[in-house]
Amino acid sequence: MASRGMLKKLKRLLEPKAIAVVGASGTPGKVGNVITRNLIDGKYDGGIYPVNPKYKEVLGLKCYGRVTDIRGEVDSVIVATPAAAVPGIMKDCAKKKVGGVVVLSGGFEEVGRKDLADAVKTIAERGGIPVIGPNCLGIYNPYNHVDSIFFPMYKLGRPGKGGVSFITQSGAVGSVIIDAADNYGLGIAKFISYGNATVIDETDLLEYLAEDRHTSTIILYIEGVKDGRRLLRAMKEVNRKKPVLVLKAGKGTAGQAAAQSHTGNIAGSYLAYRAAFRQAKVTEARNLDELFDLMRIFGQPRAGGNRIGIITNGGGLGVLTTDAVEEEGLTLATLGEQTAKNLKGLLPEYANIGNPLDLIADASVELYDKAIEEYSNDSNIDFIIICVLLQTPPMNEGIINVLTKAAEDKRKPVAVVSVGGAYTAAYRKILEGRGVPTFESPHAAIKAVSKFIEYSFYMKKPRLKKAPGP
Amino acid sequence: MKWETNFINLLCKLTAMTMIDDFRLLERRGFKLLPYKMVKSEDGAVAAARKMGYPVALKIVSPEISHKTDVGGVKLKIGNEAVLRQMYREVLASGKGRRLDGVLVQKMARRGVELIIGGKKDQVFGHMVVLGLGGIYVEIFRDVTARICPIGKEDVLEMVGELKSHPLITGARGEKPINAKALENLVIATCRLIEKEDLKELDLNPVIFDSRGCDIVDARMVK
Repeated sequence: MASRGMLKKLKRLLEPKAIAVVGASGTPGKVGNVITRNLIDGKYDGGIYPVNPKYKEVLGLKCYGRVTDIRGEVDSVIVATPAAAVPGIMKDCAKKKVGGVVVLSGGFEEVGRKDLADAVKTIAERGGIPVIGPNCLGIYNPYNHVDSIFFPMYKLGRPGKGGVSFITQSGAVGSVIIDAADNYGLGIAKFISYGNATVIDETDLLEYLAEDRHTSTIILYIEGVKDGRRLLRAMKEVNRKKPVLVLKAGKGTAGQAAAQSHTGNIAGSYLAYRAAFRQAKVTEARNLDELFDLMRIFGQPRAGGNRIGIITNGGGLGVLTTDAVEEEGLTLATLGEQTAKNLKGLLPEYANIGNPLDLIADASVELYDKAIEEYSNDSNIDFIIICVLLQTPPMNEGIINVLTKAAEDKRKPVAVVSVGGAYTAAYRKILEGRGVPTFESPHAAIKAVSKFIEYSFYMKKPRLKKAPGP
Repeated sequence: MKWETNFINLLCKLTAMTMIDDFRLLERRGFKLLPYKMVKSEDGAVAAARKMGYPVALKIVSPEISHKTDVGGVKLKIGNEAVLRQMYREVLASGKGRRLDGVLVQKMARRGVELIIGGKKDQVFGHMVVLGLGGIYVEIFRDVTARICPIGKEDVLEMVGELKSHPLITGARGEKPINAKALENLVIATCRLIEKEDLKELDLNPVIFDSRGCDIVDARMVK
C-alpha cells in the first residue's frame, strides 16, 4: 500500500517527460533492448536515457553508467536488470529523486527472495517513490506512447487511444488482453501490470485511475490480494465514479495454489472475493471472453431500464436474440403507438410490425437508418440491439456509417450483433474501431447487456447515506 | 505410550464437550436453539423428553463419530415413551465400541426449508457470513453465497436473491414463503457473532425455516 504522496507521483511515472531504461542493451532480443526500441519506434517524444555501465551508446542514444549520471530530470525509470542489482538501482533513483520506478525483473517474493523485495520497499517508502512491480510487464499509455512492455511490437499489438484502463496482476494475461483489444480494434487509456505489488498494489492503482482523465472504465485482473477489506472499500468508492470490471483467476483450489506461487500472493477463498465484488457492486466477468464482451458494452450511455428493442434483417437472428433476452431475465420492449405507425409507413405491406422488428432480407442500409431512428425516439425502449446479416445482397459498406451514427448518437445504448465468417469479421473489426460495440453472437451480446443494465440500475439508485459494510 | 493415549482421550473429550459449549455460547448470545438435553441414561432421556414434550429426536454424541446418521445414531420423530426407550437402546448400540459422551435428546424440529447459515474468517477479507441451501442437497448443488462482515438488511435480501434455490425461500408451488424477518435477523446476528467472538468458523446447520420462524438444529464452531 502506497502513501498519499506516492499516489500523486504516479501521474509523473505514468505520464513522464523523460524515461530512463536501466539495463538498456544494444543486443537484439534482450529485454533492455526491446524496451528501448519500443520507446523509439513507438514515437515516445520525451527524453529517453539508456542506462548500462557496459555501453557508451544504445540504439544511437547516449548511454549512462548510472541513473545519477543523467543530467536532466527523470520522471520514470524502467528497470530490466537481474533482481540482485535492483536495490542498488533504487538507491540511485532515490538520490536522483525520480518520479517513479517500474521493476520488470522477476526474482523477488515469488522465488522466496523476500529480502530483496523488502530492500526495494524500504528505499521506496523512505524516498516516497512509487514502484510498480517487480515481476511485471509495467506500463503502456497510448496517449503519450510510454511503453515498458518487453514484447516486440510485431508480436504483440499495441491498442490505440480509448477509455478503458487495465490493472493486471499477471503480465501474461495482461499482454493477451491488450493484444486482443488491439485485434478487436478497441482503444485503451492505460495498461498497468503490477506483478508482485511490493509497493504499489491493485487498490492504489484503482484509486489512481478513478481520477485519471483518460479513463472511463477500469478493468481489474487479480489472482490474489493482500488486504481484501481495503480493496473492497476502494471498489465501492471507485465503482460509483467509473464502472469497475473485474476478473478473478484462481477460483478453485488448484487454481488458488497456482496463483499463490505465481506472484507470491496469498489467494483467499473465491467465495470471499465473490462476496466482496457483489458488495461493491462491481461487475464480475467469469472468464476472458466475458471480459471482452463487457469491455465493449460499458462505454455506452447508461440504460434507463431493461426493455430491449431488437432490429434485424434476419428473422431467425431476431428469434435467437429474443431467447437470450428472456434467458437473461430482461424484458422485450413493446413498441410505442407512434413508433409502430411510423414503421408501417416505412416497411413493405407484408412486413410484421413489432419487436423484434424484422426488416426482412431485402432491407437496405437506409431502412436500417430509419428504423434505428424510430427506436431511438421510442421511450418504451431502453436498449437497442441491432442484428445485421451482412451477407444479404443489399447490405454494403454504407451500414458502417449508419451503425457508427447509432453508437455516437448516445440517446440510447446500442449493441450490434453480426454473425458470420471472414467477411463479417472484417466488418466487426472496423465497427469496433469506430467505437460500436459489436458481437458475434446474440447470447454473448445479451449477457453483457444484462450486466451493463444491472450496473445502470445500481447507478440510478440514490446512494445510502449510512451504507452498512466495511 | 500411555501418556499418548491419555492425551488423545483428553483431546477427544475436549472436542465433544465443545458441542454443548458451542450451544451454550450461542444461547448466551441470544440465539434460540431447539430445546435439547444431553443425557447419560435411558431414564434421563425419558425425563428430558417429558419435559420438552414429544415428538423428540435422539442423537448419539461421540468424539469418534462425526457422521451420526451413517451409523444409525440418529432417530427422529419419536412420539412416545415406549418408542423412546426402544430407540435409546438402538442409538446406544450404534455407538458400540466407541467412546460415548452421551445421547442428545432434542425437541423435534419443525418441517420446512433447511438452510445453512454460517461464517468464517477469510485470510484475505476477514470475517464473512455465508448463507446456503442445507439438507441432503448441500453437497450436490453447493448453492451458497456470502458477504464480508458487517452487513445490513439489504445484503440479506441480495443474498437470498443470489441463491439458485431462492424460490424455496420466497415461496414456490403454493408453499408459503419462509419467515423473512427471522432469516434476516439470524444472518445479521451470525455476522455479528463471528466478528465479536473472532471465530474462525461457525456453522448453524441445519436451520429449518417455515412461515412462522426457524429452528436451529445443530451448530458447530471453531474458535
